[in-house]
Amino acid sequence: MRLKVFRAATTAEALADIRRELGPDAVILGIRRQGRSVEVSAACEPPLDEPVIVAPAARATPLARHNLPAALAARLGGERVEDALAREFRFVALPDGSARPLLLAGPPGAGKTLTAGKLATRAVLAGTPPLLVTTDARRAGAAEQLTAFARILGLSVTVAQTPAALGKALAARAPGQPVLIDTAGTDPFDAADAAFLVALIRAAEAEVVAVLPAGLDADEAAELARAYALLGSRLLVPTRLDQARRLGSVLAAAWAGPLAFAEAGCGPGPADGLIPLTPSLLARRLAGEPLLLEDNAA
Amino acid sequence: MSASLAALPLPLSAPSRGRIIAIASGKGGVGKTWFAITLAQALAKRGRRLLLLDGDLGLANVDVQLGLSPAHDIGAVLAGRVALPQAALHLPTAGFDILAGRSGSGSLAALDPAALDAAVALLPDAATRWQDVIVDLSAGLDSATRRMAASADLLLVVATDEPTSLTDAYAVLKLHQQDAPGSAVSIVVNQAQDLSSGRHTYETLAQAARRFLRREVPLAGIIRRDPKVKEAIRNQAPLLTRHPSSTAGNDVDRIAEAISKGRPGA
Ligand SMILES: Nc1ncnc2c1ncn2[C@@H]1O[C@H](COP(=O)(O)OP(=O)(O)OP(=O)(O)O)[C@@H](O)[C@H]1O
Ligand SMILES: [Mg+2]
Repeated sequence: MRLKVFRAATTAEALADIRRELGPDAVILGIRRQGRSVEVSAACEPPLDEPVIVAPAARATPLARHNLPAALAARLGGERVEDALAREFRFVALPDGSARPLLLAGPPGAGKTLTAGKLATRAVLAGTPPLLVTTDARRAGAAEQLTAFARILGLSVTVAQTPAALGKALAARAPGQPVLIDTAGTDPFDAADAAFLVALIRAAEAEVVAVLPAGLDADEAAELARAYALLGSRLLVPTRLDQARRLGSVLAAAWAGPLAFAEAGCGPGPADGLIPLTPSLLARRLAGEPLLLEDNAA
Repeated sequence: MSASLAALPLPLSAPSRGRIIAIASGKGGVGKTWFAITLAQALAKRGRRLLLLDGDLGLANVDVQLGLSPAHDIGAVLAGRVALPQAALHLPTAGFDILAGRSGSGSLAALDPAALDAAVALLPDAATRWQDVIVDLSAGLDSATRRMAASADLLLVVATDEPTSLTDAYAVLKLHQQDAPGSAVSIVVNQAQDLSSGRHTYETLAQAARRFLRREVPLAGIIRRDPKVKEAIRNQAPLLTRHPSSTAGNDVDRIAEAISKGRPGA
């Protein structure tokens, strides 16, 4: 393990330093405030000894209209989009929160609560009513939004505002019961926000799902994904996939994280679907085809 | 947080056999030997019949920290000159027995394979005669150290907040996972500035284990930096004898309490 402690004025600067020095596989082990600066411990394992791949200049591809980062566009060009996607990205099933609690993290407005509602609906339909928890008490009415979904499903919502309260809330879980945790919008580049999120993740021993909306600037999305990956996330749920016309940010996020594609949020209501993403489905969406109802097999 | 620190019960050993608690760190000088001695004293205080075995075959120093000149040492036992029960020295002041490392018999670090087997076999042998056997391992990760660690019922990995210590402690955890998959291991943070920075040190190491080894390693306890430690060592006296109540002593006492209740990770 190569471990290094970084000190900087802001978490964003520390994360940039970490990425520069330890590369994209670095993992954040600890964050704390030390006086006026932020101290972040990061490590990678095994040590980086792979050669750096310098991407050739991007050629015009059918993907051009999605405004992909050049390096990614270069890797995706020249073969069937579906095959290239299958090679460059990981596609995994979204766990249901029964093995480890599923914690939804993301920037404000990403669609975390809606995603929580959709997952809760799915769990109820599957006959396993989940333990539904929100840690979002900062925003006025935040818990109410989830409670509204929950009421329709006949579920209650536990509000846990601190890591300790979250740990306690999870103690009420029935054996094998899925746990879904909705969180407040986080700025992962803010030391306090990031540290709080890490504390929640640890308290719940949760599997972290980064929820990011489609249609962001690609670089912005990539940086966000990278930050959530550093905080422990391995899964990506892009939302508003049915609405966005340019998916560069979605691909950039998964690639930069790196984060595995799990499912995509489509449609405005909790009963609307989360669609398991596959290379072929994503390829069709990139080609401009709408997401069809049949895709919502889950 | 409580969930990640789930109590990790010591495996119940057969009633006829004591527990082997090995103390490792990877990096040297973090306080293993001092901690082993103090933990031994704190457990003995609770009525445990205990042997402190100096498993530092290269640079034994339990006897030095305690200012002892034992007549026999581990080398004599391995050479078959003295039996284990006779080689152990009883320390009435501290309340436990000691099997010293080398004391003039030359370094034991370069043992031939048969002698190495015999040294490792000393641990379970001792566990048939004492209720607790605490093994102070050497720094580094040589095969004798790894094998002794692997034969312990509980491995306590001592770390400080220095990146080198964290890296080496992680290496101990990783090799231990290979050598003794699934066996009990907990982290002891030593020389912590205060409890919250000690906690941070623990979380950093635990997170490395979680992310890279997919393993949850509980916290055995945090021991704060305390000038009385150095003072006691300089006077070659066990800390709990010289200062029955000190910050570091109380911290170790709490760890002993958890271990004696079978909850080193509480
Ligand atoms: N809690 C503490 N507070 C203050 N000083 C401490 C503490 N723990 C250890 N020390 C200091 O660390 C020094 C090294 O301790 P010790 O010899 O026990 O380390 P060790 O890990 O056994 O070293 P080695 O690897 O050489 O065997 C001691 O002399 C003592 O001064
Ligand atoms: Mg020592």
